[in-house]
Amino acid sequence: MSLAISNGLDNTVERPGERAPLVLGESSYHSITEAVCRIAENPPSKLWVISFLVAVHLATMLGLCIAYLFYTGVGVWGNRNPVFWGWPIVNFVFWVGIGHAGTLISAILYLFRQEWRTSINRTAEAMTIFAVVCAGTFPGIHVGRAWLAFWLAPYPSLNLWMWPQFRSPLLWDVFAVSTYATVSLLFWYMGMVPDLATFRDRSKNPFRRAVYGVLALGWSGSSRHWMRYEKAYALLAAFAAPLVLSVHTIVSFDFAVSQVPGWHTTIFPPYFVAGAIFSGFAMVITLMVPARKIFSIEKLITIRHLENMCKIILTTGMIVGLAYGTEFFIAWYGQVTEEKFAFVNRAMGPYWWAYWTMITCNVISPNIFWWKKARTTPWIMFVVSIFVNIGMWFERFVITVTSLSRDYLPSAWAYFEPTWVDWAMLVGSFGLFFTLFLLFCRLMPIVNMAETKATLAKELHMAHKHSAHKQHH
Amino acid sequence: MSHHQAVAPKPADDPAFTMPAMLSGLSLPLCIIGLIALVGGTFLGTTAVGGRFGMSAYLTAYMYGLTIALGSLFFVLIQHLARAGWSVVVRRVAELLMIMLIPLAILFIPIAWAAWNGSLYTWTDAAGYQAEHHVPEAVWSEKIRWLNPSWFTGRAVLYLGIWCLTAWWYFSKSQRQDQTGEVTLTESMQARSGPAVILFSFCTAFAAFDWVMSLAPMWFSTMFGVYMFTGSVLAAHCSIALLCFVFQKQGAMRDEVTIEHYHDLGKLIFGFVCFWGYIAFSQYMLIWYANIPEETHWFYQRYPGFSDTFGPISIALMVLHWGVPFLGIMSRHVRRRPWAVAFWSAYILVLHFVDIYWAIMPEANLGAGGAAGILASILTVVGMVCLMLGMVLKVGSGTRLIPVRDPRLGESLAFENI
Amino acid sequence: MTVSLMSEAKPAPKPSSETVADEKVVHGVVAEFSDVDSLLAACERVRDAGYTKADAFTPFPVHGIDKALGIKPTVLPWIALAAGFSGTCIALLMQIGMNGDWFEGFSYPYIISGKPFVSLPAFIPVSFELTILLASFGTFFGMWALNGLPRFSNPMFTSPRFDRATDDTFFLFLDAKDARFNEAGAKTLLADLGGEFIEPVLDDESSKRIPKFLITSIAVVIAFSLIPALLVARMRVTKSSSPRFHIIPDMDFSPAKDAQQVSTLFADGRVMRPDVPGTVTRGELDWDVDFKTGINMEKLTQLDPSRARHLVAMMQSDVEVGAEDEVVEEVKPDEPKTEEPKAEEPKTDEPKTEEPKTDEPKTEEPEAGESEGENAEADQPEADKPEMKEDEPAAAEEEKPATEEKPAAEEKPATDEKPATEEKSSTDEKPATEEKPADSETADQPQPEMKAETPVAEPEEAQTPAEQPTEKPEAPTALAPASGPTVDTTPWLTENPIDLTDATLERGQSQFNIYCAVCHGANGRGNGLVNQRAQQILATTWTPPSNMHDATLYADVYPDGKLFSTISNGIRKMPGYASQISAKDRWAVVAYVRALQASQNASIDDVPKAQRTKIEKAQAKVKAELEKAAAEAEAAATKPAM
Repeated sequence: MSLAISNGLDNTVERPGERAPLVLGESSYHSITEAVCRIAENPPSKLWVISFLVAVHLATMLGLCIAYLFYTGVGVWGNRNPVFWGWPIVNFVFWVGIGHAGTLISAILYLFRQEWRTSINRTAEAMTIFAVVCAGTFPGIHVGRAWLAFWLAPYPSLNLWMWPQFRSPLLWDVFAVSTYATVSLLFWYMGMVPDLATFRDRSKNPFRRAVYGVLALGWSGSSRHWMRYEKAYALLAAFAAPLVLSVHTIVSFDFAVSQVPGWHTTIFPPYFVAGAIFSGFAMVITLMVPARKIFSIEKLITIRHLENMCKIILTTGMIVGLAYGTEFFIAWYGQVTEEKFAFVNRAMGPYWWAYWTMITCNVISPNIFWWKKARTTPWIMFVVSIFVNIGMWFERFVITVTSLSRDYLPSAWAYFEPTWVDWAMLVGSFGLFFTLFLLFCRLMPIVNMAETKATLAKELHMAHKHSAHKQHH
Repeated sequence: MSHHQAVAPKPADDPAFTMPAMLSGLSLPLCIIGLIALVGGTFLGTTAVGGRFGMSAYLTAYMYGLTIALGSLFFVLIQHLARAGWSVVVRRVAELLMIMLIPLAILFIPIAWAAWNGSLYTWTDAAGYQAEHHVPEAVWSEKIRWLNPSWFTGRAVLYLGIWCLTAWWYFSKSQRQDQTGEVTLTESMQARSGPAVILFSFCTAFAAFDWVMSLAPMWFSTMFGVYMFTGSVLAAHCSIALLCFVFQKQGAMRDEVTIEHYHDLGKLIFGFVCFWGYIAFSQYMLIWYANIPEETHWFYQRYPGFSDTFGPISIALMVLHWGVPFLGIMSRHVRRRPWAVAFWSAYILVLHFVDIYWAIMPEANLGAGGAAGILASILTVVGMVCLMLGMVLKVGSGTRLIPVRDPRLGESLAFENI
Repeated sequence: MTVSLMSEAKPAPKPSSETVADEKVVHGVVAEFSDVDSLLAACERVRDAGYTKADAFTPFPVHGIDKALGIKPTVLPWIALAAGFSGTCIALLMQIGMNGDWFEGFSYPYIISGKPFVSLPAFIPVSFELTILLASFGTFFGMWALNGLPRFSNPMFTSPRFDRATDDTFFLFLDAKDARFNEAGAKTLLADLGGEFIEPVLDDESSKRIPKFLITSIAVVIAFSLIPALLVARMRVTKSSSPRFHIIPDMDFSPAKDAQQVSTLFADGRVMRPDVPGTVTRGELDWDVDFKTGINMEKLTQLDPSRARHLVAMMQSDVEVGAEDEVVEEVKPDEPKTEEPKAEEPKTDEPKTEEPKTDEPKTEEPEAGESEGENAEADQPEADKPEMKEDEPAAAEEEKPATEEKPAAEEKPATDEKPATEEKSSTDEKPATEEKPADSETADQPQPEMKAETPVAEPEEAQTPAEQPTEKPEAPTALAPASGPTVDTTPWLTENPIDLTDATLERGQSQFNIYCAVCHGANGRGNGLVNQRAQQILATTWTPPSNMHDATLYADVYPDGKLFSTISNGIRKMPGYASQISAKDRWAVVAYVRALQASQNASIDDVPKAQRTKIEKAQAKVKAELEKAAAEAEAAATKPAM
């Protein structure tokens, strides 16, 4: 069973006509199981414990900030006339965007038969869900009286006797984000069931066995089950692909259906989606580069996987750059005074520093990936991914704040300044994200074992055929 | 798995890889008919309907041909970019369509000429337009820095030059590989596909702004380039599927292009039908919702309550360009039947014409132009299709119909959908 | 708690016919395979041997095994389609039903941004989302239902070897329910196919009882989870006289919710805190009182030292919003103590004075202008903002003819050009002043002038007249310096303290155009867009903005400093712009206004000699043209007569 593929091969080089392996080393089905289960079965490393403690503290800080916000009111934020959509909405759009890479990897790359997705899709999907949790927090607390946020739901209320306003883009958001969270969760969980069954079957501890047993729903690996399971997986992928497009499209509608200069641009939907994928892949790299090292799964998540992600970052970075350019061009071409001003103001106005941070991080920094050396060196891609994360946060900042702070009424112009609560909440949301992510790393199968084994089987089959073919000659 | 046998490619000079004689014989007649119909339609439009109608009809036909060729170029580039294996057997058909960019560059001359004499773009008569539409001087003086005949022509030369060079380079490399089978050719095509796609998207977006959007000089939509691009990729996939089907009917590449490839093309067509719907809806939605006069007038001219000609077409596009094919190609069973894929491809190609017609003709301000106008519109596009088809058959007769020595050919032949 | 333990949750499926010697039910025979290819080959052979219920168990989905085993395709896509379609319908019905105007009594039609009630484009996003959501639910739950999962009991799991089915081993299982099945034959077949470890699948033998602790703990959890629901249910049916219980301190309970309200938090009852004497607000150290007030302090000190001192103190603590918040927060702990009496107060003490007070400021604020002078003066000792003091002279001057007793209606025609009738009905001085003592008595309100013109203050009118006299003596003492009823004695700065350069004037112009021109018009004639609109809609509460070219606003009667003060602090309807325009820019605006005024009274001598001829020429040309036009018109007028 250990029909091995040559060890230490550089799988970033692919001769046309041959396919480079995606699982490296002396891999067998069992070694994959071992490599993945070990992470959850062995006691946590010191590094994990320390990171977890830090993350939990930051998450607690977020919780305390929210409590403070509830007690005192939204005045604790820097949101002031005319920038009422300041920091919290920036964070919301940022986190929702991060989530998109997960669905893209699990659904769209699946539909395009990109097999390299198999070993990273689980982590990416988990990232999606945790990012959506962080994202959902911000509009939730931004409604002012968060304890009445359930008014957004169309429930028959005898007190109000009225319904939510479905012609409002903000309500579309409620539906889009909650649908997205639900479907992502189903997709993630469904993908995990066979691996949870592996966990169950390996557990010696009866408690673990019971818990994983319940979670695995009695999965046995029957071929009939696999057949329906794969069909369901393909269907969910087909639903999740347009869904992921729709979510950021609807987020972009929040801005673009308005008449605020700099917001009302028809290119927003595809441009937001591309930006979301861009930032999401950057976050996947930020997570995977250390994770594969710490959990020693370099043979499953190979340089090839990372290189492909770098290529997607490069592509989406170029799309985002093209969109920035198009916006600028059309603002000039359209010759609407306010629109022209809005864009000049972005680049030269009081927030020029945010704009040029964005351009540097989003448009210039990914260009390093034109060089193969950069695409295959983990630390370089890690650094660039951090840049992209920063840049994409700033993109949302630039869009939200520059347009609002200077719109049609010059006498109402003002400069937005965040308060310490704003900062603490941003940092705290990262704490929440990493808390959930680190828990996931310890408790759940972080690599999709079943699919990786299927990929290995295919590669073994090809290698077998290839050698048979050679003998034949 | 053991039962999957690798399909051994036929020898490179197999007759299955050459253009069937029946089709290559059609090439010249098609070209002649096409040219006559194209010129005749334009002439009819200009004389019988008058105004800018004739040239608008010509532009419609031209954009129809151009979008298909551009979409095919994009198809070829993206296959190289993704190092795709499945598509090798249909790639040559895409290449044949893509090389049509070179004749299309020549066919642009009438449009460039029209940009100088005012028979197509209203902005050619800068002073007249400004006076008629009361455009403030501050706005107009900036606008005409972009919209003036010489800069317009210069840009067109730039776009067409980039497209033709890219298309020609990829076409000739692919041809050479047919002879030599060099693997390095695939590698160099892959390496250049990234920058080529960037140049392509840039040119396509701006060509859409220049050639179609500027028909209404005061209107603007950042999405417009994406809208044209989506339609073009959709049309290209349909053309590839349809041509493959026609070639197979005549006996070429019967064993090479299988149900699996139709299935994949069908999936992509389905995907792009949805994507077209998404882009078209987003553009309309944003303009409808914000309701800013600078933008709404474009849709207003195509609104059911306002225009008796284009209003129904708007509704028809929504239903027939998105709704019907969406339901039609949704099923896997349809996508796995080559004739069904071919039927839906032909159907969408017709609707693609309606889409382009809907984008261009209202700007001529003459409605459908009566019976003569309808006849002229149809004649020009039929002429363009015949001309393109004739030339595809001509070029195809001089080459093989699949890249016979592509290193990934084996993978494509053995390809199976999950 | 092993998996087999979990299996008791459901009874195992009834065994079929086959049994072995030791009476255990045999569900079938299973064999192991170590790789995919041999498994696939075996599956094909089993299928060809006529087995229809054979099943394989694999750690990952094996491509081609459905064909090898003869598994039929699933109906799952149809379930998904049906669910998705119902999602679309539900979403459309829901949105049209709720926002449309189709269902009387159910719908809630509400006009928003001029869109029709049933706006299909706006309903598409939610319809799409619900389609996807329900289709996904259909797929997800449909798949588990079709697979018969979750199922916590499976005889396959009895063999410990089967644990490897989710790791690296492939199992082929021949079901006893299969018509062709017999145990010996099946074993031989599997052995022939290369299967290893061939063994019968036996019934699960472990205990079928659910452990007690599990049942107990579940019962306890359920019982506890019911407590909140029961509590809520009980609260809903019982009555209580104690106030509502609020978990979250809502804005309704904020002690600082209304600036004009009486606060029970502080001894003086004021919500707006005065400045702490002798302190300097952060960032305000380099203040220049002349520059910021437009008053010559040196002269003022000589004329009226107390007022000057007061002014300086006020300037020192030009209170910022942030600083004020802190003050409020500091004293918050007191809040609960004071809240209780407050709640009961209305019933016992002085309900009539309290209640209106909360309402008036909200409704009357915009009317503040007219009698500002007097009222501000009345309150001056308490006032916390310098604005008020500076207003007073300005206002007082405009109200020159007015004496203190005179109703506002008489003053206005003199200064503003508002229709007198309207004024009379809406702003009646008397009730306003009458009401005031009530304020000062109970709360020493910081801005009682806001209430001065209450047109709806009838209730107090009746009660308060008796107190009126007390206010009169109070007011003059407070006003002392400035209100010397008719003359404005304030030593305003007469010269603009900033350097007058082109840049200053341009800056002034730009600020004027942003902030002032909307009302005063770009030419300063008092007919900006807002005014035009107000005239158009016949706004009853509108006070027309001043015409900058009115002689009363020229520098000789209305010094620069005074103009500056008006810009800073506002007058009549006009709000103060101190918070929006920096002091330097305000002076620039003053300079620009002077330039505007000069522009209307310029003579040819003001023009530099070099350009005079040009202008004269142009003038001559215009004159000639006008004359010509006049002549033509005359000619035209006379012609028809002929």
